[in-house]
Amino acid sequence: MNQFPANRASTIATAIRYTLPNGMVALVQRNPTAPTVSVYGEVRVGAVHEPAAQNGVAAFTGAALIRGTQRRSFQEIVATTEAVGASVNAGGGLHATHFGGRSLSEDLALILDLLADMLRTPSFPDEEVERLRGQFLMMLREYEQDTSVRASRALRSLMFPPAHPYSRLSSGTTETISALTRDDLVRFHTRYHPAVTTIAVVGDIEPADVIDLIERFFGDWQAPGNPPHMTLPDLQPLPDQRRVHVALEGKSQTDVIWAVHGLDRCSPDYYAASVANMILGRIGIGGRLGERVREEQGLAYSCGSSLDADLGAGPWAAMAGVNPTHVERAIAAIIAEIKQFAAEGPTEQELADVHDFMTGSLAISLETNDSIAGTLLGIERYHLGLDYVERYPSIIRRIDREQVMDVARRYLATDNYVVVTAGPAVGEEHNEHSNG
Amino acid sequence: MEATCSYTLRNGMLVLLRETHSAPLATSWLWYRVGARNETPGITGVSHWVEHMLFKGTPHIPGRDLDRLIARNGGTFNGFTAHDFTAYFETLPADRIDLALQIESDRMINTLFEEEEIEHERTVILAEREGHENDPEWWLNEAVMTTAFQVHPYRNEVIGSRDDLLALTRDRLVAHYQTFYRPNNAALVLVGDFDASSLMARIERYFGDLPAGPPLPPVSWVEPEQQAERRVVVRRPGPAQYVQIAYHAVDCRSPDFAPLLVLDAVLSGAKSPAFSGGAQMNRSARLYRALVETRLAAYASSSFRPTRDPHLFEFHAMVQDKHTAEEVERALLAEVARLQEDGPRPDEMIKVIKQMRAQIAYARESVTNQALMLGMWEMLDCYSRADTLLDEIAAVQADDVRRVAQTYLTERRRTVGYFLPI
Repeated sequence: MNQFPANRASTIATAIRYTLPNGMVALVQRNPTAPTVSVYGEVRVGAVHEPAAQNGVAAFTGAALIRGTQRRSFQEIVATTEAVGASVNAGGGLHATHFGGRSLSEDLALILDLLADMLRTPSFPDEEVERLRGQFLMMLREYEQDTSVRASRALRSLMFPPAHPYSRLSSGTTETISALTRDDLVRFHTRYHPAVTTIAVVGDIEPADVIDLIERFFGDWQAPGNPPHMTLPDLQPLPDQRRVHVALEGKSQTDVIWAVHGLDRCSPDYYAASVANMILGRIGIGGRLGERVREEQGLAYSCGSSLDADLGAGPWAAMAGVNPTHVERAIAAIIAEIKQFAAEGPTEQELADVHDFMTGSLAISLETNDSIAGTLLGIERYHLGLDYVERYPSIIRRIDREQVMDVARRYLATDNYVVVTAGPAVGEEHNEHSNG
Repeated sequence: MEATCSYTLRNGMLVLLRETHSAPLATSWLWYRVGARNETPGITGVSHWVEHMLFKGTPHIPGRDLDRLIARNGGTFNGFTAHDFTAYFETLPADRIDLALQIESDRMINTLFEEEEIEHERTVILAEREGHENDPEWWLNEAVMTTAFQVHPYRNEVIGSRDDLLALTRDRLVAHYQTFYRPNNAALVLVGDFDASSLMARIERYFGDLPAGPPLPPVSWVEPEQQAERRVVVRRPGPAQYVQIAYHAVDCRSPDFAPLLVLDAVLSGAKSPAFSGGAQMNRSARLYRALVETRLAAYASSSFRPTRDPHLFEFHAMVQDKHTAEEVERALLAEVARLQEDGPRPDEMIKVIKQMRAQIAYARESVTNQALMLGMWEMLDCYSRADTLLDEIAAVQADDVRRVAQTYLTERRRTVGYFLPI
């Protein structure tokens, strides 16, 4: 077995984890590669906390944080950061609201100050809220005609009951974004809480100084009420096979997604499933699915799979972009490949390759400030411990063929799945290209 | 910043090495001076197709094993084709970097062009193109390019036209490969955690004996000077109106290149010189304030890139609901006129130089981006410009920016494109 050189696992293990008295967690790591620093943070309040009628309020609130605070206008914030080649941003996602920025190391205090301002005292000026609403609505109009967004939206509404927050996209809809008021944003913001907030700072910095800065800007942040928690409705198994087509005008390609229910990040099946997913649709150019659908049959430019395992169980999906005349062949090929994988499992060679890839590519995934900061945030979100990166290779290498077959059999080997397609209307005239 | 050493092998291949021990990684980039710029009507897309074939294997390393070899060794790899160059990179744990040398020296010469694989790739590339066609702005961009460039192959999409992709033959692909994939038309760039002198000896072993090719066919297209404004309207299903305006500009060797880069940054912030890892710096800039803050446009930006032959200075905008493409065009042209009139303010000049310095620093966090910048500049002019670009920009005066705005952003050099949904 190949031994990899000492990678950055040891560096992550030396990251400093510090809990402020208000419960906020800071993770700080020195990386002197370049004279730069990245800040990544999350408040674990997101679209999962919004009622269906207010779909999009987390995204809208998150995007509005930069649009003005009690001390600074939007233009003051962007002018101050851009004058020194820095940037700050925030946005609301499914499980969390993200905030962050990057700067040259000497400007770290400035971006921490601004981010604290945005997070703690946003002012949601009326005019800025309306500007932002206009931009959101234009983005949603683009989404309306985007095959991949329309396929994802259809998939979620088929797989999850309306009461489940995963049944919607966190971007909201034209109707809900149009109806949200400034007060809705103000109210949603009151749910932000330091006890569910993590901030990671990585770069050419002195960790002790960074902890002092974080104390200075976030130390006295108090929020009303208790920290939000998340309860998701139990998943009902898919009762049958479902298929939906979303017809869009003027398209040349159809997006195809096949999916079943997956698992969450804390599931005991998670590592076996991530190895299985890597073999099925990730490694190389899209794993086995890429091999069959792209390389052997020339049916798609992109084909692969994704395992959406987060705080809740998202879809385990396979996807491809194909010519409309090849849709049925591509779906059949995907289903055949998944069936075969679930029945036979991986070869020892495939398993060895994936073990080597998943453990060997750690060094690359921990190269830049951004990627280290992102890793630290994940470690905190899922309570993995700072020794996680050091433990990871042995966790992965322990996953054997039986475990992979077992998760494939339990999750993928089913005739109850969802297939969604989005592209030209079925039967519409389009350019066919023969194959061979 | 670590020094870059350069060597030229007997067969004419340039090698650039930069040792940096910040992470236990190394990256290898092999660049070829070939792309859509070298294509004629009838064979558009041939360079990109050849790039696809280089992932299909050789007699020594079958295509499937290529992915597996890289993955097993904890690496990532890819290739891409542009108008001015084609590049292949592998980023690996530092002690595995010889794998990249082995793969690239092999496929430079021994790539298989099997008939069956070519047919598969034909549909894969058509599918790649169809994916682009799902984006309404792709159609507008294609119309603007073919209108702005009447002669120069910059008018063609790198992926090629649908008709050419249906018609291209194995013989054309092989001829293209044998002409351009030669050590004398290539540059190898490595950055990372290695010892340069021992690595150089290994590079010599892998590449030193590869045969140089015949002299390369010169590219001699010259775009005739545009004499009058051109306009094009694309009407297709789509979510909104979009506007693109493109002006004939200069190549990266022109003394006006740096002032135009500063002009772009004044209009919509400094951009990352690499593919990833930049920071957003456009929201305090002129176009955002004049078009997005006023709610005329959902977004508006300018772009100007280094190219081998004179390319375009471009504007892209998405029209906000209740407004029109005409209004957005007028607002964009008003911003151009303001700069032609008054030039940038001193604080803007200071700001964009700082922004550029920061963008370059962010890009340098990864060895992959460092090698990308060195190799790209070597393809366009000379690798040393990756390191001197900041000085070039710092030497630009506000008056230079005003002058290039007056010289290049004129009505007769302009193509205006609208996308209007039906």
